[in-house]
Amino acid sequence: MSTLVIELDQPRCEGHGLCEEAAPDLMHLDDEGDLVLDVARVEDGTPQARAAAAAVRVCPVAALRLV
Amino acid sequence: MTTPPTSDVDLFADDVLIDPYPTYAALRELGAVVHLPANEVYALTRYDAIRDALGDWETFSSARGIGFNPMVNQALVGTSLASDPPEHTALRAALTENLSPRALRGLKGRIDARADALVAELVATGSFDAIDAIARAFPLEIVADLVGFTGEVRGHMLAWGKAANQVIGPLNPRTADSFPIAGELYRWCAGVAKDDLAEGSIGRGIFEAQERGAIPQGSAGPIIHQYLAAGVENTVSAIGNIIALLAAHPDQLALVRKDPSLIPGAFNEVLRFWAPINAWGRETAREVEIDGVTIPAGARVAILFGAGNRDPRHYDDPDTFAVERNPVDHLSLGYGVHGCAGQGLARLEAHAIIDALARRVERLVVGDETRVPHNATRSIESLPVLEVVPA
Repeated sequence: MSTLVIELDQPRCEGHGLCEEAAPDLMHLDDEGDLVLDVARVEDGTPQARAAAAAVRVCPVAALRLV
Repeated sequence: MTTPPTSDVDLFADDVLIDPYPTYAALRELGAVVHLPANEVYALTRYDAIRDALGDWETFSSARGIGFNPMVNQALVGTSLASDPPEHTALRAALTENLSPRALRGLKGRIDARADALVAELVATGSFDAIDAIARAFPLEIVADLVGFTGEVRGHMLAWGKAANQVIGPLNPRTADSFPIAGELYRWCAGVAKDDLAEGSIGRGIFEAQERGAIPQGSAGPIIHQYLAAGVENTVSAIGNIIALLAAHPDQLALVRKDPSLIPGAFNEVLRFWAPINAWGRETAREVEIDGVTIPAGARVAILFGAGNRDPRHYDDPDTFAVERNPVDHLSLGYGVHGCAGQGLARLEAHAIIDALARRVERLVVGDETRVPHNATRSIESLPVLEVVPA
């Protein structure tokens, strides 16, 4: 199984928070409204990887990548 | 190299602007890319092609403008709307500094309270025009207060916003008639100063940011222009669509009434089902192949948001309005570096209206909606509410 890395383009993130709704166990907006990745590495094929992919998918400004 | 299929459709014909969905279905069946000689564009019609193009600014450039005539594209030079990274990055940051969800966090309570008061008052009167009384009045008030518009300018906002979007179209009579009005907005924004905007407002904050060098000199006026041009017209459309669709589908309103956690998904579904923007443009920076056909370099591309939103290859039963669908990946707000900069504010406004309707209204009895063709924004002109069955 391979490890996937969630990459955040911090300057591009505007804090819409849709990723947090998709993957609340992996990331959250802090008190300042900045996104924090609580889990940055996920194993391919796991529920965590699917949640990460969903978070990447819903980011309206394409600030997240899964590589 | 295979050329895309061709259609004689005119995207800006009155009947297509008023109800584009039969045309979209026909174009989608022809191909993901369809050449439209009448408009001198290559139209993107299917979900995947549109989403990919929105995500690929290097191929589908905004730097030569997003409109369908050279005059509007010239007028938009120097805005985040009509630029690509790296120029786009600083312009976008300046635009969203005070508009991002993190900047707007403190506003939710105030926006919710205003929506509730407005809907409560209208429920008590029992008959009103939903577009005038809610869809126009609410975003106008929110944006005017936020940006700090006072006095005479407030009276111009709707007409200015409508004209600024109308001129995105090709050089047809609608565009020609709207250029002088769009010009009034342009000139006003070129001359507006800090003291013209209310104290403590976001608009004044933008000028203060310019004074301390946080955003480039001369960028405050264009940012105010974008707030006004984009922040009212398209939200008016979206909120009008919310009311019309919930009135036409009382079973769907009942679902939201029963489970308020459906509110964000209901808004996504309204945006998916009726896209506020019919088509915006891009230009190909290089030759590009999509689904086996080639778009040449330097070609104008029309992105048909609403066609992608009804693509059965992506959404099951796409012509059904279903609030439980929650299509978070709909195309109506764009995607990627040019994704709608005001979507955080639009969500606050729309969620507040849906929430107030769901709590206070069991059913809206409405008359016939009327529509007037518009080159860019598809919205309802009037929607008489004949009777309110209160909750």
